[in-house]
Amino acid sequence: MTQQDRPDPRQSGNRYDATNAAERRDDQSGTTREQAMAGAIGAGNPQDVGQSTFAATTDSLQHTVGHDRPESGSYTFPAFDSHHPPEKDLIDECVHCGFCLPTCPTYVLFGEEMDSPRGRIYLMNKGLTEEPMNDTMVRHWELCLGCMACVTACPSGVQYDKLIEATRAQVERRYERRADDKAFREMIFQLFPYRSRLRLAAGPLRLYQRFGIDKKLRKAGVMSRLPARMRAMEALMPKLQKEEKIPEHASPTGERRRRVGILTGCVQQVFFSQVNSATVRVLAAEGCEVVAPKDQGCCGALSTHAGREEESLNFARKTIDTFERENLDNVIVNAAGCGSTMKEYAYLLRDDPEYAERAKKFSSKVKDVSEFLQEIGTVAERQPLPVAAAYHDACHLAHQQGIRQQPRKTLKQIPGMEVKEITEAEVCCGSAGIYNMVEPEPAVELGERKAKNVLKTGAQMIVTSNPGCMLQIQASLKRMGREIPMAHLTEVLDASIRGEPVESLLNGRGLQG
Amino acid sequence: MDTRTKNVSLEDLQKIVGEEHAHEATAEDAVDGIAPQFVVEPSTVEETSELMKLASDGGLTAAPRGGGTKMSLGNPPRELDLVVGTVRMNELVEHVPGDQVVRVEAGMRLEDLQDRLADAEQMLGIDPPEKGATVGGVVAANSSGPRRHRYGTIRDLIIGITVVLPDGTVAKAGGKVVKNVAGYDLSKLFTGSMGTLGIIASCNFRLHPRQEAARTVAVELSDTMAAQNAAQAIAHAQLVPSAVELYWSDDTRLLSVLIEGIPPSVEAQANTTSYLLRDFGEVRALSDKEADTLGFPDPPGVGVEVTVKISAPPAELAGVLDSVLGATERRGVTPRITGHAGVGVTYVALSGGDEEAKGQVVEELREIWVRRGGSVVVRQAPLSIKQRLDAWGPTGDYLGLTRRVKEKFDPRGVLNPGRFLGGI
Amino acid sequence: MEREQLVRTMQSILGEEGVVSEREQLRSYECDGLMNYRVIPDLVVLPETAEQVQRVVRTCYEEGIPFVARGSGTGLSGGALPVESGVLIVLSRMRKILEVDIPNQRIVVEPGVVNIWVSQEVADQGYYYAPDPASQVVSSIGGNLAENSGGVHCLKYGFTTNHVMGAEVVLADSSVVHIGGGKAPDAPGYELLGAIVGSEGTLGIATKITLKLLRKPEAVRTLLAAFEDTEEAGDAVSGIIGGGIVPAAIEMMDALCIEAVETAVHPGFPEAGAILIVELDGPEAEVANQFDQVIKVCEESNASEIRIAEDDAERALFWKGRKAAFAAMGRIANDYYVQDSVVPRTELGAVLKRITELGDEYEMRVANVFHAGDGNLHPLVLYDNDKEGDAERAEKLAGEIVYACLDHGGSLTGEHGIGVDKKKYMPKMFTDDDMNTMQRLRCAFDPHGLCNPGKVFPTPRLCGERPGPFKMHPIQKAGLAELF
Repeated sequence: MTQQDRPDPRQSGNRYDATNAAERRDDQSGTTREQAMAGAIGAGNPQDVGQSTFAATTDSLQHTVGHDRPESGSYTFPAFDSHHPPEKDLIDECVHCGFCLPTCPTYVLFGEEMDSPRGRIYLMNKGLTEEPMNDTMVRHWELCLGCMACVTACPSGVQYDKLIEATRAQVERRYERRADDKAFREMIFQLFPYRSRLRLAAGPLRLYQRFGIDKKLRKAGVMSRLPARMRAMEALMPKLQKEEKIPEHASPTGERRRRVGILTGCVQQVFFSQVNSATVRVLAAEGCEVVAPKDQGCCGALSTHAGREEESLNFARKTIDTFERENLDNVIVNAAGCGSTMKEYAYLLRDDPEYAERAKKFSSKVKDVSEFLQEIGTVAERQPLPVAAAYHDACHLAHQQGIRQQPRKTLKQIPGMEVKEITEAEVCCGSAGIYNMVEPEPAVELGERKAKNVLKTGAQMIVTSNPGCMLQIQASLKRMGREIPMAHLTEVLDASIRGEPVESLLNGRGLQG
Repeated sequence: MDTRTKNVSLEDLQKIVGEEHAHEATAEDAVDGIAPQFVVEPSTVEETSELMKLASDGGLTAAPRGGGTKMSLGNPPRELDLVVGTVRMNELVEHVPGDQVVRVEAGMRLEDLQDRLADAEQMLGIDPPEKGATVGGVVAANSSGPRRHRYGTIRDLIIGITVVLPDGTVAKAGGKVVKNVAGYDLSKLFTGSMGTLGIIASCNFRLHPRQEAARTVAVELSDTMAAQNAAQAIAHAQLVPSAVELYWSDDTRLLSVLIEGIPPSVEAQANTTSYLLRDFGEVRALSDKEADTLGFPDPPGVGVEVTVKISAPPAELAGVLDSVLGATERRGVTPRITGHAGVGVTYVALSGGDEEAKGQVVEELREIWVRRGGSVVVRQAPLSIKQRLDAWGPTGDYLGLTRRVKEKFDPRGVLNPGRFLGGI
Repeated sequence: MEREQLVRTMQSILGEEGVVSEREQLRSYECDGLMNYRVIPDLVVLPETAEQVQRVVRTCYEEGIPFVARGSGTGLSGGALPVESGVLIVLSRMRKILEVDIPNQRIVVEPGVVNIWVSQEVADQGYYYAPDPASQVVSSIGGNLAENSGGVHCLKYGFTTNHVMGAEVVLADSSVVHIGGGKAPDAPGYELLGAIVGSEGTLGIATKITLKLLRKPEAVRTLLAAFEDTEEAGDAVSGIIGGGIVPAAIEMMDALCIEAVETAVHPGFPEAGAILIVELDGPEAEVANQFDQVIKVCEESNASEIRIAEDDAERALFWKGRKAAFAAMGRIANDYYVQDSVVPRTELGAVLKRITELGDEYEMRVANVFHAGDGNLHPLVLYDNDKEGDAERAEKLAGEIVYACLDHGGSLTGEHGIGVDKKKYMPKMFTDDDMNTMQRLRCAFDPHGLCNPGKVFPTPRLCGERPGPFKMHPIQKAGLAELF
């Protein structure tokens, strides 16, 4: 009898076949594998009970990164200077137990100790004590996605996020990058945090897409000759819509419950402005007075995560200034990466006597949109949206901010909505800020893995809360020749509140034309 | 090979164990037709150690013997000078019911041990059918019975061991705690070692509580596929049977399931078992008496029957039965089959037909089952067959390693030479 | 062989990505889960197939280079500690599940497969893999095999050695053997598989492992009971086991542990001197009946609170709290030294008393978490590395605890293994004859002493008769060995 022929013992119709001891009550099909871990260890939050880790599949990835990386021969000793090195106390909290290894995307891809949180912390420790900062050390720190899955998994409570950010800042200051690497990064940081510049680039990009230039270049074989990073960037470009203007002030429907500000963001505003419009409408419908300051800039998330300290602090100060003067109850963020950095402002600006207190006050007001809605309770009526949607956890929302239940709850409050769980939900999609541009190879593999898992759910659409994730997953699906409509959580809510048909979410929301 | 000087006399032996406990061997002491010169029965580990040293220095070959119930296992010995009987080392050293652990000398009979343990409502989870077997013998021969389905074999129950190596060294491994990974697990190494690495002097085992109630449910089988399906249905159900036994002969074709536990659980599980088995034939309860009569093919005497043990993947039971029935029918041999259907162990007693035929049956079965990752071991056969057929069958790629282990423990080849795998 | 040449040879076998030779990278492999001992390996290799493992070992054998195998590097006794001038063979890239055979209730995996993946793989078919060490989310099957890992469920279900049915092993001379059968039981020959499991990587490297799968039990019930102190909790344990119940798991934690775990993972444990987590599984009728019995026993032992897990989420939370115990220690102390001693269960009370006495004597805190059912205790000696002399005192105290356990009839290690950490205690438990006998086994497998040398046995013993041309062993060169 083959495995297929064997009747499933659980379905033999026997009244004595009782519950699968490890099944969750609200069975979410497709994830029984992960739910087998009834006794597994999780993280610092009871919400994470039953958290799964990377499960090996029989077609487990074996690819490992070779030695083809930008190496510059830079050598600095001692590795760190005295301005905010990774803290020894935080490093000492690591007891080398290894529980972070199976949750780390790079460890799963490469299987090397150095590319695991435990290994990276070890390298930081060595850097503090005896080793120099050189290509090898920096290489492994650079390969870290900053997804913080390790923070979720660590039973000792090691604050890896603080450690890696401090380390990256040190690397920015003390490691001499190779010229092309330096130039590429500069280009990214001169472009992405500035909406006006992004818009300038968007224009030609629209033409490029409209006239199918990309296809022609591909056919002519030009694309394959571009360096990997350029190809990566090109592949990530979404289909550009016309940018919607966000009103500076929106009045609440009915009684005013809160006065909130909204961060319109950079990539979000230029490439996904419809998400911002939807967010404003949803908040207004829920009784919020919404303020979108016109002169707001970048929140500094990309810079913070890349260790560009000076730059990120400047952005932080400006953001605080902009929103402070509006007298807001809360500042709402619809991009996971931005939200997590803004909640960190207090820590980032701890040295600045002028801003330290203000940053604390500001950070306490920052809320992710789903977090906020669950907190104040929803009042607007939701019209049914009969659709099966796969919800993708953005790392900076799930791991960094611990927000997992709220978005799901928000979706489930829409009648007719079926929320599908993606297997290996805690695994980063590979976007990770600018990672998918500077480290295209692992990002592509992770993207593919995520795309496969998404397809397995059989959902009709994907819902997430981060523009970076949206770009990455769309690009990965496209590489596989597939296309699934994607929408931001607020777009779905908006459609429900306004009574839009499901088709408005499903049609024309694919990839580049 | 060094020249051996066999200049050990009866007096030398008696000096160690006392006059009454060393004597000349009789015909009954022969092993597969090889008659030893002396039989000696030490009462302590120290005596055993001295004996082994004497034997080793004197170039003797020896065979340990407990209850003598399985002396026919393995190939005939190349030579045999001495039989070392362990029956005098039969003390129950320590039984701590609260720890579920017992320490017992190797010469104690298993039945006696079980009786003593029953006083504290405990038992050793091994039930080989051979009456009179000693604990040491059970370990050395890896004997098992129906309850291996639930409790595993002796290797899963042994937690410590004291052995006397062929050169007289006394060594222990393990301890008296169930959970123990200090040092190498020599207890396991000696399991099934057939007295070729050393003489087991005492063992420590983990125990289980005795079960309160028991019921046996059986199903009449119409064909071999029914046997396999029934066994598989039970194996994959959420039941905890103590035994799943197969009986197949001309007059009996049954699969019986033994459920033991507390009364409400036994009741419920017996019902489930009946329910599951009804797809495969007529189901009925078996009384204890009936269950006993079914039993194992007793070895009725050397030379009459050939008994083989077939180990195969459990899910291929029908294949095992078919291969046996086919091979025997074609050669005019009558098989009587019993087996632990849940774990893939099947015993076949062959009678009728001539020796040649029986030998061919074994070879044919080996052809099929060794390739499928199993084994066909001759447990009992007339000497003439044993001299033609290797008792163990083809070995895997671990023969070299096996030889090296033997060489390290018994460099002079004192114990049971030639009886083990590959003529070791 | 010159190092450069060795690197090139290994690269030709494994490709450049399979060889780690940069100093900083090598340093990240200098210890496993036990940070007290560190040795920088000469070279680290990451094979991806059994054939590559064999070729790597062949090179080591031909050049007389000792090697150590490593899985996920989470061991707590230094079993994966590299050897001076040796090669570290890391198996974390061999992580395929090769064959799932539900009808025969077996699964074949590569050694780098993580323990929990096995259960995950077969969960939706109603099966699981029983040995569940607390590190199961990261520890590898190969490592489990080397150490004969246990877990909270091993009282009822046994250890890794009871669940490994067969293995393909690369021996130190690079020959490959298939032992244990793996498909059918009772393979003729010596129980070599039983000898290899738990041999701490000193007898060979397993490259394919066949594991036994178990059908998920019909019912599972878990409860948590709080007691005033470990003595009362211990009485409850005696009552339960004495009543003829074999719980699937029965764990105890003392007040210090509870405090640490609450801080770390917030399972919501009650404040108590000791808590007991008892889990029963099996047929529904049996579990229902015995569960009532367990509750009664706890009540009779003056449990201040009894909580029954209502659903799987709550059950998972109980276990999360228990399994986080070691790592959570970091919350209440800077450093800790975890011990792994076993005593007969009936001696637990006496030993715990002794540990408290010793703790007072040394003026150090000792937290206790243990498998109450089988007497395997994990005293965690808490100390502060930055305080002068604290680390040494902690080690001394740990040693005293070990002796106390041996005095009460126990063993040096229940599940973590001897490794390098407990080598020095071996003579306390085994005589020279005992250890020499074990050494014979080692010589049969690895006459040249290349496979994870320097572990388990206090004095490295090299086998006297070694086939092949004479090569001085690095340990012998260092004057650390004696000829056996």
